[in-house]
Amino acid sequence: MSALQPHKVLDCRGSFCPGPITELFKAYRSAQLGDVIELLATDPAAKADITAWAQKSGNEVLDVVDEQGYIRILVKVTKKRS
Amino acid sequence: MEVVRIVIVGSGDGGTFTANLLASELRQEIRGGSTSVQLLGEHLAHPFQPGNLDIAFKGAEPRKYVRDETRLLRRGIEFIQDPAVKIDLDGRRVTTRSGRVLPYDHLVIATGAVADPSKVPGLAEGSLNFHTGPEDSRRVWEALQGFGGGTVAVLIAGTPHKCPPAPNEAAFMLDDFFRKKGIRDRVKIRFLTPYPRAYPAEKVSNVVGPMFEKKGIEVNTFFNVDSVDPAKRKVYSMEGEEFEYDLLVAIPPHHGADVIVDSGIGDADGYVPTDKGTMKVKGQEGVYAIGDATDIPVSKSGVVAHLQSVVVAHNIVSEVRGTHDELAYNGRINCPMEVGQHKAIFVSATYESPPEDQTPSTVKYIEKRSFAMIYWRALNGSLERVFDMFFGQTRFPAEAEQHLPPKAS
Repeated sequence: MSALQPHKVLDCRGSFCPGPITELFKAYRSAQLGDVIELLATDPAAKADITAWAQKSGNEVLDVVDEQGYIRILVKVTKKRS
Repeated sequence: MEVVRIVIVGSGDGGTFTANLLASELRQEIRGGSTSVQLLGEHLAHPFQPGNLDIAFKGAEPRKYVRDETRLLRRGIEFIQDPAVKIDLDGRRVTTRSGRVLPYDHLVIATGAVADPSKVPGLAEGSLNFHTGPEDSRRVWEALQGFGGGTVAVLIAGTPHKCPPAPNEAAFMLDDFFRKKGIRDRVKIRFLTPYPRAYPAEKVSNVVGPMFEKKGIEVNTFFNVDSVDPAKRKVYSMEGEEFEYDLLVAIPPHHGADVIVDSGIGDADGYVPTDKGTMKVKGQEGVYAIGDATDIPVSKSGVVAHLQSVVVAHNIVSEVRGTHDELAYNGRINCPMEVGQHKAIFVSATYESPPEDQTPSTVKYIEKRSFAMIYWRALNGSLERVFDMFFGQTRFPAEAEQHLPPKAS
């Protein structure tokens, strides 16, 4: 597990797309630059979707960790319109 | 004689249908005076909300999709045109706008979701929409009549929103409209979505994406709107993108009803925390929520409200009669999507199974159109056998409910 302390943890286990990425966008809306958001998901599409969003938008996926039965994704907010 | 009091807050699809199911199932108890069913609503006019698309993009008359609520209700229901302003779950009572206090033994919260353009700076002034009612939908149609060319942007300005396929349908219907008008070559249709693809569910997007491409509808993904500048006719995303438009058709951000927020019984967005199986409000006995009012991660749609209503009505009857055979909803969704040229697909799924591959067909389009024709009859519960055959299994005994993996500490 990452030693980073996230500013927000989103438990999206049991939710299919668009559940996980929708929750991430809600957190992104209220986040500040530098915030770290942790997202837990069982949806296999979550990793690819969130990575693609980060790449396009200029935000950063810090880590993707395989846990037992779900994945843990850490996202750092590095770009957001002020 | 002590009366069992059932109060339903909200007279949209879910509230009206639940009231009718209860009035049908409990008619002996209601006639005998041992049970009462009270339905609270703000308006006498009951709209068929999917009709807004036809009003906005096909020029249908708004009155075609509106009925008088009292004509939709079965005998035995007391309709009170006086909306709830406070729900007191601890005191088990509801207060109406006029100050009337209604105690309850069983409560159904069917207060819906509110489409609210004011949540995004500039959106209310800079856009039109078909989510805030038939009259606003009519304004879209009127704007299209005078549109001679330029960029029409369809913008998903917040999630979740009512009717997940509606933005895609809007783009397809715009394409149809401009082709029929003979000016499609002068119009750019731009689809701005926060999702990773043309439709959030991948297998549905595999159909919609190529169709958009073929029809020249440009998709811009991961666009989370930040603001709109009506003077410059520009829309900006949180991620830093911006696009110009000549006509902006937006799906406004949604939130829960004011009564939920004001009563302090919702989440941060005003949706009621609800068990996704039994539809019980979390931490409450005899209190249920249905449809758009809940925080359950399924489509906010009439079909979902309908299927949840069946479960809730059954569970309340089970409580009233002490039969203890509680049912649970399996997350079934069934959202029709028009894809233009008289074809449609259905987005169907459950909690356990995501949407499957789809092929657009005229038969599915006819099915969608047929549902609009039988909607009013469906609300009184007399077509349930037909729906059970069409939808298949949508509920199961609550004790068999499957549980999700354990939550992280």
